This record gives sequence, C-alpha cells and structure tokens, in this order.
Amino acid sequence: MGNTNEMLVEFDAIGENEGFARVVVAAFASGLNPTLEELGDVKVAVSEAVTNGIIHGYGGQPGKIRIRAWKEGQTLTVQVEDRGKGIPDIEKAMEPMFTTKPEEERSGMGFSFMEAFTDDLQVESRVGEGTRVTMVKKMGEQNGSDNRTN
Amino acid sequence: MEYGVKQEQEWLWVGLPEELDHFQAEQIREAVREKMQEAYIKYVVFDFEHTRLMDSSGIGLIAGRYREMAVRGGQVYVSHVSDSMKKVLTLSGLYRIVLPWEETITATESK
Repeated sequence: MGNTNEMLVEFDAIGENEGFARVVVAAFASGLNPTLEELGDVKVAVSEAVTNGIIHGYGGQPGKIRIRAWKEGQTLTVQVEDRGKGIPDIEKAMEPMFTTKPEEERSGMGFSFMEAFTDDLQVESRVGEGTRVTMVKKMGEQNGSDNRTN
Repeated sequence: MEYGVKQEQEWLWVGLPEELDHFQAEQIREAVREKMQEAYIKYVVFDFEHTRLMDSSGIGLIAGRYREMAVRGGQVYVSHVSDSMKKVLTLSGLYRIVLPWEETITATESK
C-alpha cells in the first residue's frame, strides 16, 4: 500500500448540498489529474449517491450525509453514507428502473448510473441503521502524467 | 435559452441549469406545473445549452413530462445537447422517446 490521502466531510441531507458534495469530491479528485469526462462521471455518481441518502435514506427528513474519500495512486474511492432507514432488499433496489417513489418521478436509475460511471460499486445497508455506498474509479491515466506522491 | 420556463401557446420552453440534479429538477418541475395550469401545453422543449451535468433526477423530470405530453398526443424535445449530455440521455434510454429539436426543425424546414 502506498501513501493514502483521505478526506472526510459531513453535511445536512438537503437538496442544496447536492452541488456542494459534487464540488468537494471533484476538488479532491482533481489532484489525480483526471480528464473532464472522468471528473464529470465522478460528480454524477456522487450526485446519485447523495440524492439517494436525502430522498430514500432520510425520506426528506433531517439527517446527515457523510462522504469519505481517499486516493491511492491513481485510484479514487468515494464512500457516501447515511444513518437513515436502510435498504431491505439491496438486489431489488439496484435493479434498473426500480423505484420506491414513482409518485415523485424518480427514474429508478440512480444505482445504474453509479455503476455506469465508476469502475466498482459496493452497497452495504442495514434496515433501521443506514446505508453506505462505496465507489471506486481509476483516474487520470489518459493524460500520461504520473501524479503519485510516493 | 437562459435558465427558466417560457410558454408560447401550446409550447413550453425550458432552459435547463448548468447542473441538473434532484434539487434543480424539483424546482423546474414546480415551475412547469404552474405554467401548465395557466395554459394547455402539448409540446415541451428542454434546452441543454447551458447544461454541463445531469444525473438521473433530470431523467425523471423529462420522462415525467413525456408521459404528460404523450397522453395529449404531444411531444417532448431536447435541444443543444452536448456530447457529454448525450451520454446520459443515451444511457437512460430517453432518446427512444424524446426527439432532438435540431433535427426536427431541419426536417420541417426542408419540406
């Protein structure tokens, strides 16, 4: 294991902070010299995960979302966590188009987008305790520059 | 088109923001609902001119309008879609139901 650079941020689970979450992770990721597309992909993935926490985890009620991210070499890992109601059936939740809130016009594509825009996605959840989504993405390889600090 | 909602007879023009997320989508949905109460809308054009990011909340917003317009025999269009936005629209399957505005007006003009 090389040098790991980690950050941790916690904020209120409100819509206004979705943009903040994207910017904070993008700023952290920029040290890896990502392409614009890679940065865009990460921002969408984070946006999906945070939105899930707000809408589903806390059902629009007050709560905190925590984002922990770390860089190892050119790999970025982002963990988005809430202490909300949890997911009873993770496999079902991750089915494309499945949503528990069709009346709110949710497309049911949040997890599909997270999967499409990252290299790996893990979802851990316990009903009544919360949910943690871990996304991994290798970045900055196309640029040919080596930004590793070790 | 600048950010906002503009109604012209049966047409609704929606200028989307730079980042279309759940927070923004909800506000736009409300603005669209208000306009739809004022006038009978059959056609909606979502303008992506200033849009650099969209997540699945935007998909829900557009798909919802498509359902409403389809019931009336109307249509939903997307315009000024950048290459990066095309990626999200294609992934979501939205291109199967909404029409690219630029191609539509070219087709009608060439008649």
